[in-house]
Amino acid sequence: MSQGIVTTNQIVMGASFWIATSIFLLAYALIIWEKIHKTILVVFGAALLIVMGIITQEEAFTSMDIGVDWNVIFLLISMMVIINIMKPTGCFEYLAIKSAKISKGRPFMIMAILSTVTAVVSAFLDNVTTVLLIAPVTLLICQAMELDPVPFLITETLASNIGGTATLIGDPPNIMIASKAQLNFMDFVYNLTPVIIVVLIVFILTIKLIFGKHMTVKEELRQRVMAMNEKEAIKDPVLLKKSLVVLAMTMIGFIGHGALHLEPASIALFGAGLLLLVSGIKEPHHIFAEVEWASLFFFIGLFIIIGAVVKVGLIKWMAIKVLELTHGNLMGTSMIVLWFSAFASAFVDNIPYVATMNPLIIDMAKQLWPNLSGIGLLHHPDLMPMWWSLSLGACLGGNGTAIGASANVIVVGMAEKMGHPISFRKFMLYGMPLMIESVIICTIYVWLRYYVFNI
Amino acid sequence: MRAKDIMIPIHDYLKPDNTLKEAVKLLRTGFRGENLVGIGVMGAPVLDETGNLVGMLSMTDALRAVYPSYMSMMDMGSFTWDGMLESLAQKAGDRKVKDIMTSPVITIREDDPLMECVDLILRKHIRRMPVLDKAGKVVGMLYMRDVFFAITKAMLKEDNGGEK
Repeated sequence: MSQGIVTTNQIVMGASFWIATSIFLLAYALIIWEKIHKTILVVFGAALLIVMGIITQEEAFTSMDIGVDWNVIFLLISMMVIINIMKPTGCFEYLAIKSAKISKGRPFMIMAILSTVTAVVSAFLDNVTTVLLIAPVTLLICQAMELDPVPFLITETLASNIGGTATLIGDPPNIMIASKAQLNFMDFVYNLTPVIIVVLIVFILTIKLIFGKHMTVKEELRQRVMAMNEKEAIKDPVLLKKSLVVLAMTMIGFIGHGALHLEPASIALFGAGLLLLVSGIKEPHHIFAEVEWASLFFFIGLFIIIGAVVKVGLIKWMAIKVLELTHGNLMGTSMIVLWFSAFASAFVDNIPYVATMNPLIIDMAKQLWPNLSGIGLLHHPDLMPMWWSLSLGACLGGNGTAIGASANVIVVGMAEKMGHPISFRKFMLYGMPLMIESVIICTIYVWLRYYVFNI
Repeated sequence: MRAKDIMIPIHDYLKPDNTLKEAVKLLRTGFRGENLVGIGVMGAPVLDETGNLVGMLSMTDALRAVYPSYMSMMDMGSFTWDGMLESLAQKAGDRKVKDIMTSPVITIREDDPLMECVDLILRKHIRRMPVLDKAGKVVGMLYMRDVFFAITKAMLKEDNGGEK
């Protein structure tokens, strides 16, 4: 196996190498420093690399290997458009109020059901969108029942990151991994959904132990919630029906996209286009204006910067170093990828992390199997657990700290604004143990499924 | 006509460290109108210890202080309960004016023409603004209703063929 491994001496470390590496490292450092908005940093860094000729515009805009991954960008845009159309129908308010009422106003049941709903919705929608839709209703319910909303907000955020891991479209790292590794929606369902269901069940049992005993609510306060009529939430039943039909069609499209030989972005774009057409919206300006362009340009800039360091050989150099460290032991590498990704994602944004790891894993594969290429290389049976470990580590790792995932940052910010500040320590006190618990489950899963039973 | 011709000379103002409770008492009894009768005002300027303008506290700010911001994020008006406003209002009473006031403040100079007042009222969606002297000190308040009366006067003069 080790015969394929070349040495790092074969990489030319010229001026281009050092310029690209410096810009890459500086961009990372400044992203962590957080004084300048991350989108501004990467857009400038990317433009600088193009202007300096390290990566050409053509490569940046059109190369499948080192350019912007438009599959990721258009999948995100399309899903944002669908959500922007659905939001005013009131379906998310309905879902949250309904969940609270199903719980009969019992506080822990509300927490468990809202967390489960958040996890399931996050599996199909962006995590930030999901928490932005569930958290305000949670705050209302907690206010009605005179409960401290902080445990509810933290558990929902953690559940959102757990649920997002379950599918291809649930979390941006998965979208990025799917696109680079050419994995389809059903690959994610077969390989990740089962373990995420286990992680979620164990998570709910754990929060029962942590919060279950302390929450009691007076009968009259419970009645406030029970008196809410969730049907009043639905503002536009006609648009809601149309949206649900299109959303269902899109989901069926995702399930079948592998068989249809269509990229996930094509399916999502079709869904967005169809919903725009049937929604009866006369002026689509505001639907597109609400698309999160800053996040999308963060991806665009990042892809170009990563493309440049792939081109100059930095990523290949890193891949060789990783293989040297692990002596080509792939199970060991998988486990390192899982745990390293989890802790790295707890402290740095998992999007740039995965953007770097994707080409690194591909370069590692090229070192190991120099005669293979395309799907044969990307889907080499020994490489598959690596992709799943990366996804599980990077997505679940976000639960470790208040800055680990975008959803955490949003919820902590919202809670502070509402007068319920969640300190970094407090979030970590719950997040870190629950994150470690979930990664332990994943470790056992990856080991059993891919190295013991080989299924 | 200029701003100083229709402004109400400054009479009541708030301090940044006043509580909202103290502030609403002042709003309730504040002086207004040419005869300075204490019938309540909809907003008052906030001045620091040196008399510098630092903000404006209006009725809207008081409403916003009791309005949970999660409600503004989603359409949840139909899920409120009887007694919600009262309990939130009691909690908001102890908040400081400086945390609730609108700042920075849109102001006008005493020698600015009235059309500039109309421009600010319409473009900035405000109903009252502090009037500053040359040194930048607040000398009065200009209210939308007084601008309206100035307009009425001008209009009716024209209708009467210029007669007074």
